[in-house]
Parts: sequence; C-alpha cells; structure tokens
Amino acid sequence: MNFKQICIFCLLSSTAIAGGCVSLGVKPWQRDVMAREDMRLDANPLDAAIDDHMYFSKEASSGGRSFAGGGCGCN
Amino acid sequence: MQLELETRLAKAAHMRRQLMAASCALLGAAAARGQEARMAPADSGLLEDWSVDSALAYYHEDGRIQAIEPVVNIAKLFADGQALNFNVTFDSLTGSSPNGALTSRSAQTFASPSGKSAHAYTTAPGQLPVDPNYQDDRIAVGGTWALPVTRVDQLSVGAKLSDEHDFFSVTVDASIAHDFNEKNTTLSFGISEEFDSLQPIGGAPVPGSDYALFEKTGHKTKNGVGALLGVTQVITRNWLFEFNLSVDRFKGYLNDPYKITSIIDSAGNTTGYEFESRPDQRTRKSAYWENRVALGGQISTGLSLRYMRDDWGVRSDTAQLHLHWSFSNRDRYVEPTFRWYRQTAASFYTPFILSTEAPTTAYEASDSRLGAFHALTYGLKYAQKLPGLGGREESEFSVRVEYYQQTFNVRTATPAALQGLDLYPGLKAVLVQVGWRF
Amino acid sequence: MAGEASNAPDEALSVEPRGENLLAICFTAMASPCEVLLPSTTAPTAALELGALVAQEAWRVEKKFSRYRCDSVTAWIHENRGTVIEVDRETASLIDFAGRCFELSSGLFDITSGVLRYAWKFDGSDRIPEPAAVERLLPRVGFKKLRWQSPRLLLPDGMELDFGGIGKEYAVDRAYDSLAVRCSAPFLINFGGDLRANRPPLHGSWQVGIERPDTDRRATMILDLKYGALATSGDARRFLLKDGVRYGHILDPRTGWPIPHSPRSVTVAASSCTEAGLLSTLALLQGVRAREFLEEHGVRYWLLQ
Repeated sequence: MNFKQICIFCLLSSTAIAGGCVSLGVKPWQRDVMAREDMRLDANPLDAAIDDHMYFSKEASSGGRSFAGGGCGCN
Repeated sequence: MQLELETRLAKAAHMRRQLMAASCALLGAAAARGQEARMAPADSGLLEDWSVDSALAYYHEDGRIQAIEPVVNIAKLFADGQALNFNVTFDSLTGSSPNGALTSRSAQTFASPSGKSAHAYTTAPGQLPVDPNYQDDRIAVGGTWALPVTRVDQLSVGAKLSDEHDFFSVTVDASIAHDFNEKNTTLSFGISEEFDSLQPIGGAPVPGSDYALFEKTGHKTKNGVGALLGVTQVITRNWLFEFNLSVDRFKGYLNDPYKITSIIDSAGNTTGYEFESRPDQRTRKSAYWENRVALGGQISTGLSLRYMRDDWGVRSDTAQLHLHWSFSNRDRYVEPTFRWYRQTAASFYTPFILSTEAPTTAYEASDSRLGAFHALTYGLKYAQKLPGLGGREESEFSVRVEYYQQTFNVRTATPAALQGLDLYPGLKAVLVQVGWRF
Repeated sequence: MAGEASNAPDEALSVEPRGENLLAICFTAMASPCEVLLPSTTAPTAALELGALVAQEAWRVEKKFSRYRCDSVTAWIHENRGTVIEVDRETASLIDFAGRCFELSSGLFDITSGVLRYAWKFDGSDRIPEPAAVERLLPRVGFKKLRWQSPRLLLPDGMELDFGGIGKEYAVDRAYDSLAVRCSAPFLINFGGDLRANRPPLHGSWQVGIERPDTDRRATMILDLKYGALATSGDARRFLLKDGVRYGHILDPRTGWPIPHSPRSVTVAASSCTEAGLLSTLALLQGVRAREFLEEHGVRYWLLQ
C-alpha cells in the first residue's frame, strides 16, 4: 500500500466518521474509562519529548504525533 | 463483557431515575421540580492551577556520545479553559561522534572542524573514524497557549527557540481543533514554520567539495514549513485512537557540515574525502496511528504505527507498543515499552565513493542516519505517587530506562580488500531518566 | 449534622455585603457557617426577614433530627426502643427515603450505621479499633432489622438512627422551598458547602468556590452556577493514620470498616441538594470506583483523592 492509497483510505474513513454515517463513540456517561490518566493520548509528554529528541538525532524520521521539525542541530 | 457493561450502565441510569423519584417524594413534587443544575459553559470542570513536570535524562552510547538533559515544563490552567505551557530544556553532549568516513586498513588523520591543529585527531586502522572532541551545549525554551474559542473549538499557538554554539532555531506553530459527535470525534489541523541558522565551527563547507581543500563559507540557513491533519476518535468505552497525516518541506542548507565521505580506490585504500552534498530541498510525508485500549481496571495498552516517506528516497516504518500496569490502587505503575523501527537508505546514501567509478547521483552522503538500518528499543518505566510538595496533595516520581540498538542493513557490496572489517558497527545506547511531576 | 453539646444554637443573624452585587445573611446551623445570598438591591429589612425564614428552617430541621439534642425526634425514637411508635409525616418521609437509598445502594447507605462511632473515633490519631470491638457492633447495624411500616416504627434494642448523612442537604431543600414561595428574586442558600440556587443573579451567574477539585491538584476552583444544587461529601480532617495507611471515616455498614481508597471529597451537581448529597455519599461509598460510578451516572462532579 503506497502512501497515496493510505491517505485516500484515511481521508475517506475520517469523512465517514465525521459525517456520522459510522456513528462511533460512547455516551457521555460511558466516558469513565477515558477519564483515567493512563488513557490520555498525551499521558507522558516529557517522556515523549525526550524520546523524540533521541530518535530525531539518530534516525531520518521525526514527528507523526506532532510536527516533524526538530528545532535543534542534532541532525 | 459487553453484556455486563450494558447491564451496569442500564442499572446506573435506572438508579439515577429512582433516586430522583425518591428525592421528589421526600421533598414534595413542587420542591424537586426544576432542571438539572446548570453551569455556565465557562467552567468545564477545569481548575485554575499550576503544575510542574520535570525530568533529568542521561543518555550514553557505547563508546560514543554521552548527554545529560534536564527538562522542566510548567503548565497553568485557567478556569475559563485557557491553558499556558512553558518549558525549558538544557542539554549537554560530549564524546565521540562518527564523522562519516569509512573504516580503513591504514591510520587516518583528520583536521578538526575549526581547522585548528590542536584538535586534529587520528583514527587507528580498523576503527570507525570518530571525532573525539565532540562537545555541544544547547538551551531551548518553548511555550504554547491554548484557548477555547467555542464550546467545541480550541485554538492553540506555540513557539520554540533553541540555541547552541553552532546552531540557532526558531519555530512557531498554530493549530485548531474541533469536537463533535458528542465529543467522540475531534478534528484538528495545524501548521508550523521553522527557521534555522547554522554557524558551523570553521564555516559551512561547500557541499561536495574536497576535504583537503577545506573550502568553507560563512553561515547558512534553512527553512521548514509543516502541516498536520488529525482525527481523534473514541471507538468504544475502552478504545480510542488518533490518526494524523502530516507533511513538511525543508529548504536551504540541509547538509551536516561536519560529515565527510571517504573516496576509496579498488584496493580499498582511502585516497581522500569529500564533504557531503545533499539536495537543498526535502519533503517528507507521514501517516501516524496511535491507539489506547483499556484492558480492565488496572491495565491499558498503547500501539502506534507510523509510516514515513520523503523525496530523498527514505521510507520508514515504526511500531511502538507499551503496556501500562498500575497496582496498589493506582499508587504506582510499571510501563514496559517496545519499539521497532526500520528505514531504507536515501537514494544518494553511499558509505564510500569509488574513485574508479563515475558518480551515479548528483548528491552523496555517508551519514549513517541516512542509511538503511533497523532499530529496536526496549524500555521500562516505574512510577510512584508520593505525598505532595508545598501543600499539594500528590506528586509522582518516576524512573525510566531504555535500551536502543541500531543494526545496519548493508546493501552496498563491500570491496574485497575491506572484507573482515566492521564497516557498519551500528549503535547501542542506554537512556536513564528520573522524573518528578507535581 | 454534627453538632456540639450546646442545645441552644447561637441564633443570631448578620447581614453583610458580598461583592458588588450581593447581600449575605449569615448565621450558624448544624455546626456550619450558613448564608443566604440575595441581590444587593434588596431592602435591609426584607433581607433580614428572608434570611430569618431560611435560618429558622435550618434550626428547625437541626433541632428535630440532631442526635446531639435530647429534645429531638431522634432522641425520642431512641428512648422508645423496643416499642412500636408512630412518627410524624416528615420523619416518615425521611425514613422512607433512607430505605429507598438503602435498597438502591445495595446496603451501603444505611442510617442505622451510627453505632459504629462507638468503636471508631476519627481524631487523626493511630488508634484503630480492635476487630473484635467492631464485630460486636455489627449486629446492631442494618436497616433491614428495623420494623418499619410507615408511619409505625419498631427500633430493636441496641440500634440507633442517624440522619446526619442526609440532614444538611435536606435542610437546604426545605429552606429553599420556604424561601421560594416568598421570594421571586434570585437567591442562593448555602449551608456549609451544600447549596442551591433558584435562578441566575442579574450579573450573570453565582460564583461558587469549590475548595478541593478534580485531578488531585489543590486550588480553589470557581464555578459559574446558574441554578440547581451542589453537595459535597467527605471531610479531610476526619481520619485515622496508622502505619502509613489512612482510614477514612466512611464506613462500610456491612463490615464495619472504612471503605478502602475512598476519595477525600466528592462534590456533585443535581437538581436538589438531597439528590446531590446522596450521589456524593454513594460515590464515596464506592471507594476505588468512585470516579467510574459518577461517570456512569452522568452527573457533573468534582473529586479529590
């Protein structure tokens, strides 16, 4: 699957999700598990930042979760 | 499991109605009539408060670089939903850094980047050439400001500054997020702009020029623009994911000013070196998918995948898995993690140049970070809640260890004369971090 | 309704301005600072009169149900253990309500659990009771053991009734009713943190300070309340600490021991103070599952671990 196909697939899925035709999700009173700290997508921002810095300086890829720019001279 | 959950929620809704009925009966219909307590939208259950997150990381590569990196992040939440974030990072690196040249059967002598003879260094035969005088101290500050513009939209702007003795960078970014579908779906879009200024020690080499000639020019710059489109979706009570598509383009002086490529003859002898030359533009695209799944009251897991490709020919796949296991009533937890990474080489990556062959590409670089390799990371984190500091209720102390190993996937034929030498030694590194959050 | 030994509460009212837009009529009841907030445009005599209405209702409920007063209905019920008595309509409604809550909470909410205070003295020390002492009290606990057929009650020997768990919130609702018929202006009644407002004040909304909000960080959070009720359960000062283990004062009536890992305080928003108070107490009784319980019920809440 090349990049273009991935993008198209994702765009279509997001549109479907956004359009509500696939109405995924939970009711407000079902968000109890989501309220847990370990279920947050940004649960450990400092760990992620330190890791991202390490990978940015040792690999050719960066970003994904956020912007890819390194902002430092280590690559 | 699903049936049990539905039963529990149905019971909760039932209990709520029964409770309301009972209160009505107690207070008399007239009294308990009235709608739910209504809060003005501004509060959103947020609090006005400071929080501090700090960490000290120590990074050590086997025989190469060592780094110490303290980081502090201070966040302030306002009652109306605005949030301010400020962070400071300091990192100090020392050690030996590979200069891109190939291992040779003879000793090699290199000038220091500044050209000063005091820092010239020699590499023994059979050893990977590294600059042993590598040293760099960096300080970076950054901040973001998030502002809810409506009940379902949030705007966020940020800026970052980073300064080292040979590199200065400024980044600004802005993004907007929109919630809908009862806050089950969030769409976000952001852009960023980065401006970097390089003042390499001794000047920036003319790309592709002969090392011996030491042709250096003044300082250089590069610019980057990035865009990110993301969707966060709650799927079930226990599963949510985030999917991002991003693209960025950098233009300007994209070379590493300190890296050189060895020129070897058919007998494997190094006859000279060239400064690397990379294109002056690079466009990267990536797709990223992160999942969080709760498996019961104490365990949750995360799996993320990333696919990246750029117009230098590099393609990479990343998969990261972590498990979060809390015990003692969530007073402490452990988090083992595993990451697998693989990248292909840039089209102009070459570990060495054969003097007998005509160049096949306009560009060349032997920086191992543009080569083909795969890397594994094994990590473990332990955290524990402690009594708070300065009147706060609680704080969290954590310790984290990671082991990172890169293994080269050699695609270039090794010249017969250099058989037996370890030309692509890869990398082994350990990261140890302590953190304190309160 | 904690109360000291004094049988004559300080029945004084004071009026003071509160901010630019409000008047507060303050008094003490049920060992808590109480106040009624009215628009500052209210004439002082009218404000005192309306405040008095609220205060009188608060003192009435306190006198009637406090276990510390020898002239309360509670005391009279206790004097007549072992005989069938007929209680008045208000007391009957309260016992009915307590019975419903007992059923709905599967036995966690129990107004007969007051006797456990003979074993547990939550004074911040490390004197936790002997298990045998708690065991001896358990047969005297259990709503089911009451012989209750409204309005007739037979309280078995050794048992006690304690309306403290719902008394303050009930008083807020009763005072609210008596004020609402007389006052069409926006008002807020606050008995020591359990409060209820009828409608938003002219300047926007009621600014309510909650001392110990969510996410384990200390701050005073200001909420904008338009109308409705808030109730808080839990008290950080009443606990025992032994060998690093904290024994909160919320006792499980089925075992006689504190509910483990109970949050320190829970604040809930609902349409009546009684309902809000019940939900916050029930949440505390869930221990570790407090947050999930509140999420399942879809209420607005603030929780402090």
